[in-house]
Amino acid sequence: MSELKPIFNALCRSKVGAILLLLQIAITTAIVSNSAFIISEKIAYIEQNTGYPEQDIFKFEVMSFGESIDYMRQGELDEAAIRQMPGVVDAVMVNSVPLSGGGSASTFSLGPTGEKRKGVNASIFEADSHFLNTFGVKILEGRNFTESEVSVVEEYSQYPNIGLITKAMADELFPDGDALGKTLYQGDRPMQIIGITDVMKGPWLQSERRDRSAILPFVFAQKLTLFSVRTEPGQRAQVMQQIEQHMSSLESKRVIEGLQGLDEVKADYVAPDRLTMRMLLVMIVVLTLITALGIFGLTLFNISKRTKQIGTRRALGARKSDIIRYFLIENCLISVVGLTVGSGAAILMAQQLMKHYSISQMPLFYVLLTAVGVLLMSLLAVVGPAKRAANISPSIATRTI
Amino acid sequence: MFLHYIDLSWRSFKRTPLVSMLMVLAIAIGIGVTMTSLSIHHMMSKDPIPQKSGVLHHLQLQTMDEGRTYWSTDDVPFQITYQDALNLQNANLPYLRSAMYKSGFSVHLNSAQQKPFVEEVRLSSRDIFAMFDLQFIYGGTWTQQQQDDIAPVAVISKSINDKLFKGENSIGKSFYLDDIRVQVVGVIEDWITPVKYYDTNNGSFDDPEKIFIPFTIGIANEVNSWGNTNGWKNEQDDTFEDLLASENLWLQFWVQLNNEQEKQEFGQYIMSYMKQQQSLGRFNREELDYNLFNVTEFMDYRGVVKHDNQIMVTLSFMFLAVCIANILSLLLAKFLRRAPEIGVRRALGASKRQVFNQHLVEVSLLGLLGGVLGIVFAQIGLWGVRTSHSAYDALANMDMTMLLAAPVIAITACIVAGLYPAWVVCRTTPAIYLKSQ
Repeated sequence: MSELKPIFNALCRSKVGAILLLLQIAITTAIVSNSAFIISEKIAYIEQNTGYPEQDIFKFEVMSFGESIDYMRQGELDEAAIRQMPGVVDAVMVNSVPLSGGGSASTFSLGPTGEKRKGVNASIFEADSHFLNTFGVKILEGRNFTESEVSVVEEYSQYPNIGLITKAMADELFPDGDALGKTLYQGDRPMQIIGITDVMKGPWLQSERRDRSAILPFVFAQKLTLFSVRTEPGQRAQVMQQIEQHMSSLESKRVIEGLQGLDEVKADYVAPDRLTMRMLLVMIVVLTLITALGIFGLTLFNISKRTKQIGTRRALGARKSDIIRYFLIENCLISVVGLTVGSGAAILMAQQLMKHYSISQMPLFYVLLTAVGVLLMSLLAVVGPAKRAANISPSIATRTI
Repeated sequence: MFLHYIDLSWRSFKRTPLVSMLMVLAIAIGIGVTMTSLSIHHMMSKDPIPQKSGVLHHLQLQTMDEGRTYWSTDDVPFQITYQDALNLQNANLPYLRSAMYKSGFSVHLNSAQQKPFVEEVRLSSRDIFAMFDLQFIYGGTWTQQQQDDIAPVAVISKSINDKLFKGENSIGKSFYLDDIRVQVVGVIEDWITPVKYYDTNNGSFDDPEKIFIPFTIGIANEVNSWGNTNGWKNEQDDTFEDLLASENLWLQFWVQLNNEQEKQEFGQYIMSYMKQQQSLGRFNREELDYNLFNVTEFMDYRGVVKHDNQIMVTLSFMFLAVCIANILSLLLAKFLRRAPEIGVRRALGASKRQVFNQHLVEVSLLGLLGGVLGIVFAQIGLWGVRTSHSAYDALANMDMTMLLAAPVIAITACIVAGLYPAWVVCRTTPAIYLKSQ
């Protein structure tokens, strides 16, 4: 440990270089730890379990323009025809596609409007009894609705009074777990819970209502209708290829649009987040490289400045390993101070991000991991130049004084 | 003298090519990263219609009952009801204005030659073209008479005209929106704007619509909105009639107010309008409230620039700071090695100021080279962003401002980095170096 003092003294004599390196390490630590945390949050968000076998599901829109078309009848015919196609497991006409960012939502309360009772906002899916099978969602309690319970009408006066809700929604409204059979109110409109479904995300992954959805047995075909189809695994591409022609052969006055796999729908929705994640990833990789290069360059410079001193030390009996150790310890000293300052800055920065932007609190774990990583990187960057310094011949010292 | 300094800088650059390249590379990478995120931020936040952003105003009315909340920062709903839209559109006011909403139709020519396609359509008043500076290639907007008579007319943009009519003068020709046969009265240049500021409800960065029809047609044909409809009141909403009479919020309203006085007069009109509506049982509130934001205020209010982008800009400037620190240490090393040479120059009569200036010119040259190379890096970065999603096609670009900003930022950064090394080197005392030579 007696080595520390001369190293520290030498550092004090060339303060600027050391301070610059320290600053680089500090800022790098602050940026990398916060970025790494944001990246991990984004990955968790992008990769979250939606509850659907996304690879086997696709959706499309049918836009009709023939005045003579009876949308209701046509919708039912379309559904039946798609379900008949080879490779198709099930298909459903639905008011909104999950993960798509478009749909409808409403508040469901424990009592009608007059009573001030607890309520939550939830997404609404309106479809017939094929909804669950098409989206591959299991029912945990109760039952699915039957074909006879589905209202296929062109007016809202026959809106259904039964529905399914997700487990997350049930747990929030009925913490005791006795949601089945209870009645919820959409305004004054009652809805009895006949079944509780497994995890299924709503249309808006970003919204706080993403886990709360209600499925109602209601079919309301209009000029623009949405279809979702689940195929046998591996057969989706083939069915998607045939679907436009198949739908047009059923009725010619229509346009088939927005043909997309559910995984692509989700990818579109999370595109901005994926972009942020990638940009941050590129940034921290390049940043780490730049900092490493900086350390590398500075050490080289220091060595060339101290060639004579190193030669003298070697001539006076210092071993090669002593020279290497000297530079490693010097670098460690700077790094440790830099990392301490950087960790403080990282925490401050995380607090600012949390205050101004919708970012959750960064666990200290990230700072710690980054600090260890940066320390290792800086040591690696020093080893090369230090070895070079060790090879300086003692004769240098004697040649020019 | 300046040219001489540049010559000296270039010689110095060539003398230590590796270190110089490293410095240029460091600043270029810093500029590349910074300009990539800054360009996106700039395109998102820049004034989309600078010549008129101060006079175009977006109206919001607080129609909800006392105590109701909305997810805007001030609880005022973003859109307005049909009743208010109609009343304000038809009021006897001298201002250009338009109630508007978005819908969509199957567009076709009722013939086998043209495959029908779905297109988003904006339903608005005739003033929208004058208000938003949309340039006509052929024809013009529909008349007030046509608007009032619900005449089936449309203004289409160039790309639709190319698709349906091969780009010829199509005034007077007809096409179909679903089953509605409409006649073209005007063709405009495509509406290009990086931010869809006039309707931020469904994606601020969506493309503008390419077909425009009087909103009276939409009402008469019961054309539903393809945008958001927000209800807050428990009321009958089974039919389109119900929707029109309801408190549902689904239209946007823009008005052009050319000066402060017009803005005040319009504000007074809105207040008296709301008071009058109160007597009809609407606007059940203690205090009447409305928002009348101009374009830039409105973009700010709606938070068009996403948090992620602001974070990216902050982080990339910190990144640039690391690059500056890096360059600073390299410059220090480089300049100090040159101390003997400077000693001689000082001894021959160069003043401290001249030595200082010479070195600043040298770092500026590095900055310029780094800035230019940085633009190349930024272009690569932006290309990467554009390929990630089509929504960034219009956003991930460098406009003139950003192209000029890149070298300016690079040179500034280099000068910041060069100040200390230049100061150190200009204090070189000639005597020491003369002695040892």
